[in-house]
Amino acid sequence: MLKSKGYKEILGINRRNQEYIRPYNSARAKNIADNKILTKKILTENGILTPKIYKVVKDRKQLEFLNWDSLPKSFVIKPNKGTGGNGIIIFYGKKKGETAWIRPNGTVMSKYDISLHIANILDGRFSMGNKKDAAIIEERVKTDPFLKQYSYKGVPDIRVICFKGVPVMAMMRIPTRRSNGTANLHSGAICTGIDIATGITTYSMQMDTKSLLSDVYEDVESTTDLEENKKLSGITIPDWNKILEIALKCQKVTKLGYMGVDISIDAEKGPVVFELNARPGLGIQAANKAGLRSRLELVKDVDVKSIRHGIKIAKDLFGGEVEESIEAISGRKVVNIIERITLFNRQTVPTKKRGKDDKQPSKAFMDTSILTSRIAEATANRIGFLSTTSYFNSLNVPEKFNTLKEAQEYIDENIQALTLEEGIKRIAKITDGNDVKIRPVIEITVGIAEEIRDFDVIIMKDLEYPIVIGRNELKGYLIDTTHTF
Amino acid sequence: MTYSPFTSWILDNGVSQQTLELLVSITIVATIVSIFRYIFGGKSYGIYCPIILAVAYSYTGLRYGLAITLVVIITTLLSYSILKRIRMHYITRIAINYCLLVIAILIFIIATYKYNLGLSNTYLISPLALISITALSDFFVKQFTQKSLKTSFSPLIGTIITASIGWYLITSDTVSHYMINNLWILPLLILLNLLIGQFKELRIKEILRFNSIIGNKDNAQK
Repeated sequence: MLKSKGYKEILGINRRNQEYIRPYNSARAKNIADNKILTKKILTENGILTPKIYKVVKDRKQLEFLNWDSLPKSFVIKPNKGTGGNGIIIFYGKKKGETAWIRPNGTVMSKYDISLHIANILDGRFSMGNKKDAAIIEERVKTDPFLKQYSYKGVPDIRVICFKGVPVMAMMRIPTRRSNGTANLHSGAICTGIDIATGITTYSMQMDTKSLLSDVYEDVESTTDLEENKKLSGITIPDWNKILEIALKCQKVTKLGYMGVDISIDAEKGPVVFELNARPGLGIQAANKAGLRSRLELVKDVDVKSIRHGIKIAKDLFGGEVEESIEAISGRKVVNIIERITLFNRQTVPTKKRGKDDKQPSKAFMDTSILTSRIAEATANRIGFLSTTSYFNSLNVPEKFNTLKEAQEYIDENIQALTLEEGIKRIAKITDGNDVKIRPVIEITVGIAEEIRDFDVIIMKDLEYPIVIGRNELKGYLIDTTHTF
Repeated sequence: MTYSPFTSWILDNGVSQQTLELLVSITIVATIVSIFRYIFGGKSYGIYCPIILAVAYSYTGLRYGLAITLVVIITTLLSYSILKRIRMHYITRIAINYCLLVIAILIFIIATYKYNLGLSNTYLISPLALISITALSDFFVKQFTQKSLKTSFSPLIGTIITASIGWYLITSDTVSHYMINNLWILPLLILLNLLIGQFKELRIKEILRFNSIIGNKDNAQK
């Protein structure tokens, strides 16, 4: 059941092409994205930073008269109408005393080698439909020092999928040794999902090379080939709001209704737009472990008034993977940061009405930094879950795990025993500092802001408040941080 | 062999039975390619390559056709791996690859003939069929030079699978006879392609691709 529902959230190529690219991307707009020189011209005219062009080689005559001495130590060569990162060569330095440049993997390309590559670009070897093309020689972006620590030589970039003025999903692509310093997922770069609301990285995936099927991903927890590998979740992307703003500005000036914007963060200039994509790939869903289709459908009929409005909608709808309904945005109730609530006792025999003795007052803390609400073990015991907590405590579940994967494997192996007690609805993995813990989830009935609702809550051993309410249950509420009850 | 009145009329008006069979088969192979692409999510070298390969296999026989295909791909891989180390223009590299391919195919045919490798009479192989299979190298190299070896194998296998199904349809007497006697299949195929053209659901390959997301709905809490 869950699976069939899950599939409906995923966007496939068939639907992407028919429902989003064809109706929302005009041929003229697609032409802009497919032509890097034109893209740069339009973006620059609108005050959006892109890597500076040093030279454009349009034909063999221009190639013959190319002034090699005027080229800097580091630069990038790319086809004007290339696809999928094909034909892009990055040079990191110039060989002393020679007209030759050094690539990320240490190989040296002479003037002659580079000329051959440019000639191949001109012949259309890397362009769409193998049509004749032009070669762009442009500035190499100098990676932001913060992001540089996660990347193997190349420049990590951030892809933001925008639809009708709303940034719907984002990921960071991190070059690896396997991808030879490029941010191309098919070459082996790591893709890391980004929470739209906070700009914090979530899950990471890498193309599975062992799988016979192409485009199959495997989970990765940290970088794979650095001297000291680093954890990939929890990274705060610098200038996040600015990145979202730039992505939407690109959409506004190109009039592409559905697009991917590739942005990198330059150490000196800040966010710069690498390129625009009128047919962005669907791997971003794997990186975010979330479907694009459900998100696109949510914003399909939304009237976005400005770039700021678009960002606000995205943060409200997709922040923390919370997909609230559009209606929830308009009609919100206000709750205090510490709110008085009513906890209903656990009903072992289902009845239609609850009596006065069935409930007890309590106080709850509203915490938007967590997703699922939590309840203190003592409170859970008080409302009738003593048997549940006793059962779970008797299982001798390890106190902590090193990784989410390890925790998931433990859950998978012991799922039957873990959920045997009827009060346990499911098992949740929670991160606590560097540790991962697994805890039982129960369903409780809560009276909050004049409503009676059923909440999924994680039973916690230590909790400052009897109950802490997370984002899952705060849909449609505004939190007043100045008042407590 | 008895034909329907409409088929008889076509055959009496300048169309040979073999031509009619081949033409109808082409429409079926084209539809198979569209099903393979949009329902299964498989890749192939466009629609032209599987059709031409299916026709070529119908002349060479599937076993012999597949053997030549294997020779073509292995030779291309070997020659390209060596040639990419030599500085030269792209087209000249492809041209040398073709020269090496011709040598490899000649050796293959002679070896088949001389050592009686159990394949059919080599004299009867249509040269045009051989050339059609050899042209596969061009499609393969284009993918191989732009993408990884694994990525370039995926459309190759898709092309061979669809061409093999096409070969069966073209060479099966029962299927061919049924098709040319039931030419209403042609508008039906148009209708079927119109329907496939409107298909928006996930391709089977995508279901496998995104299976990990679906299975992970209960994600970690922050």
